[in-house]
Amino acid sequence: MKRSLTPFVVTAAVLAFFYLPIAILVVHSFNASRFGGAWQGFSLRWYAQLLHEPEIWQAARNTLVIALTATAASLVLGTTAALALHRFARTRLQRVHYSLIYIPLVVPEILMGISLLMAFVAVGLQLGLFTIFLAHVTFCLSYVALVVLARLQDFDESVLEAARDLGAGWWTAARRVLLPLLLPGLAAAGLIAFTLSLDDFVITFFVAGPGSTTLPIRVYSMIKHGSTPLINALSTILLVLTFTTVTLSQRLGRSRAPETP
Amino acid sequence: MRKKLQEAFLTTPSFLWLMLLFVLPTLLVVVLAFRPADPFGGIGRGWTLASLRSILNPYDLEVALRTLWISAVVTLVCLVLAVPTGYAVARASSKRRRILLLLIIVPFWTSFLVRIFAWKSLLHPDGPVKKLLVLLGLSGEPTSLLYNPGAVVLVMIYTFLPFAILPIYAAAEKFDIRLVEAARDLGAGPFAAFRKVFLPGIRQGLLTAVLVVLIPSLGSYVASDLVGGPSGEMLGNKIAQRVFVDRNLPHASALSIVLILAVLAPFLVVLALQKRKGRPAVILEEGL
Amino acid sequence: MSEFLTFEDVSKRFGAIRAVDGVSLDIRKGEFFSLLGPSGCGKTTMLRLAAGFETPDAGRVVLAGRDITGLPPNKRPVNTIFQSYALFPHMTVRQNIAFGREIAKRPAAEVRRDVDDMLRLIQMEDQADKKPAALSGGQKQRVAVARALVNKPQVLLLDEPLAALDLKLRQRMLIELDMIHDQVGITFLYVTHDQGEAMSLSDRIAVMEAGRIEQVGTPAEIYEAPRTSFVAAFIGDTNFLEGEVSRLLDAEYGLLRVEGFPDVFCFNDKTLPAGRQVTLSIRPEKIRIAREKPDGPALRNVVQAKVEDVIYLGPTTKYWVRAGGRRLQVLRQHSRFALDEKPIRWTDDVWIEWHPDDGFMLDRFRRDDEKLVAPPPQKVGEN
Repeated sequence: MKRSLTPFVVTAAVLAFFYLPIAILVVHSFNASRFGGAWQGFSLRWYAQLLHEPEIWQAARNTLVIALTATAASLVLGTTAALALHRFARTRLQRVHYSLIYIPLVVPEILMGISLLMAFVAVGLQLGLFTIFLAHVTFCLSYVALVVLARLQDFDESVLEAARDLGAGWWTAARRVLLPLLLPGLAAAGLIAFTLSLDDFVITFFVAGPGSTTLPIRVYSMIKHGSTPLINALSTILLVLTFTTVTLSQRLGRSRAPETP
Repeated sequence: MRKKLQEAFLTTPSFLWLMLLFVLPTLLVVVLAFRPADPFGGIGRGWTLASLRSILNPYDLEVALRTLWISAVVTLVCLVLAVPTGYAVARASSKRRRILLLLIIVPFWTSFLVRIFAWKSLLHPDGPVKKLLVLLGLSGEPTSLLYNPGAVVLVMIYTFLPFAILPIYAAAEKFDIRLVEAARDLGAGPFAAFRKVFLPGIRQGLLTAVLVVLIPSLGSYVASDLVGGPSGEMLGNKIAQRVFVDRNLPHASALSIVLILAVLAPFLVVLALQKRKGRPAVILEEGL
Repeated sequence: MSEFLTFEDVSKRFGAIRAVDGVSLDIRKGEFFSLLGPSGCGKTTMLRLAAGFETPDAGRVVLAGRDITGLPPNKRPVNTIFQSYALFPHMTVRQNIAFGREIAKRPAAEVRRDVDDMLRLIQMEDQADKKPAALSGGQKQRVAVARALVNKPQVLLLDEPLAALDLKLRQRMLIELDMIHDQVGITFLYVTHDQGEAMSLSDRIAVMEAGRIEQVGTPAEIYEAPRTSFVAAFIGDTNFLEGEVSRLLDAEYGLLRVEGFPDVFCFNDKTLPAGRQVTLSIRPEKIRIAREKPDGPALRNVVQAKVEDVIYLGPTTKYWVRAGGRRLQVLRQHSRFALDEKPIRWTDDVWIEWHPDDGFMLDRFRRDDEKLVAPPPQKVGEN
């Protein structure tokens, strides 16, 4: 049967479409020229300038702190949610629970942003790093829960029964069998939460206060106020960071199910 | 009894969190739409339908309509591009497939601010795309590629395409290609087989792809903010403007309700279509 | 007391389904005992009740005189071989086997020695440091067995361990399991839906259906002397003849009036009086088929029949014949060179005969069980 070439042509075009703008951006971050039009030689001056901006460092620190804490919190909340959804799958409570977890994923970020903003204002909570943290956990939770749930569903329960059959109590079985096998899934979920938090803009924009900038917000204001070459450099750094975390997450997330006999 | 206790113990943390930080705030927004706006900014006292009615003005309606057609176009184009791509990746050899998936997923996870900015630079009057178009005689010197709905559509397609490719790839991978071969064996031409056997076969993936592009598109903020200009303003921008510039929270809430309804409609439609085939699909499959 | 593992009137239900319904069973020490039945008959539930993964709603489970009904699985001196083997994927073969001993906090030197002994038993010393993903199906099963046996359980529970293997491998593992049982001498409780496995491995079999035990006996007893129509039809093939005792000939033999047949001689082992309804089960290999009317002693059942289906199998041929308005199976073994004789063909008129001893009286006959031995359809799409 003759294979149509169209899908492959389209795929190649799509990939080019994806990477061309990014490639150009990365290339221009090394452009000595201030204006992106002409190439004026290779230079690291923009990177140097970036590294000397205290505001950038502050924003980077905030971003990292929030990402780490939000990841930790959403891992705990998401994993307990996944355990509940998996073990008690058909109860009415879990069906409501599942919808509750699922819906934030299909809601546009701006709705979440505005509703959180109004809620914080209503209870008089001052906007700052803490409110950003609360917001990030809220949307990361669902991702973590679904990733861990998927791993749990792939998980061969009989392995836990085998552990008990061989004499292990619940806690020993969890420690020596469940946790080691779940760890790659948890790590993958954690990396996803970390990346989501790192990159989030819209929701953060709505719930951040003055003085609590994150890197994405910094990038946004830089874009608005046009310091192009710096943005190129900063973007390249962010790209490299995300690329690393994504590749790591993919490696860990690859299911290690043994082959069927 | 122990089971019920265990279930409660495991469910409460996430349940409570989402109730307090998702459900209640959303309800708050809906409630606020029924309050009048305080002329000095903020929320007035009492209840009224005035805030809701205030969105029935030509400017807001224009923005709402623009949001709808931009989202529709973006979704359509993404689908058209995603189907052959998802198909090609699903049919690729195992090794190539892994590489292709990685290539598709990386933009998916990189900061979309960065990606939108990349396009903003490209579409800049001094940028390469404009220069190329002028060279080919397709564009006059003064017209700007930026700050119009077209730029918004382009940038949004760029942002959402990976979202569309992944569910279609997932569905195409599960699809038994021998069904298409059977159709060819029974006399169908390649396009007919594609239309009558393959597309219905990846129905679940198509529906998911529609959802994951349409809904974020409707609520899009950044793309229209950075490359849309005044003529490319979308509902999300209007809402933000009401909140931050006009300080008119009830009006912003009213607009948010419109957005909620606009998002709910396709979601319920897709849910109804999916229910005919069984459980609703988990949107996030590959890539996580 | 040779009863070692006893189920006393055990019941277990899941929602509205009674998986196990008032079952009592005695398993003897050291025997290879199988629970055989179709899926959903309750055999796996019985196993899980013995292992402790389920608790009975009623009844007790007693092991070596001790009531273990309330004990959790990790406290019972029994071990299970799971259908999917359930090897710990993140541990090596050695670590898998050592697991139970380590949990029991045995000294390291002793654990090492025990594990080495097991590796030698299953002939996998070279693969001790491999992970389960690198093993074949047969190897995984052996590791599962070793992991269980190293703990010297009082009973080994096996949950359809051969189900996931292909035919050739299954045949080999069958023999290996048998050898291991002989070598180790532990009581085996084996669950399967495959008659071949049960018959070839077991000392005794319990046939289960719908949560109840239909019959317990040695493989030969189950096959030759089935108590119910289910047992007769589930294991191998059979023919059912329903009739009424018309006359007693002597203390041992009687005549049955069977519709469409001349009176049938049968061995009256149930000492039924005249007038009693009874159904006979006659195994196909016990019936002889020939083109000429056989002559022999008077105490034989000889009936005219017409051949409707011939299924040549190589060592044997199965014939479906119509006699007395009903369809019967006959299995003929070709113990001489088959090409020398004129074969019996479709639509031939033949004579079938069987010895009165070979029709066995069933205690219970159920119409539904006839479906298990249904003859082939005679038209495309016929039910």
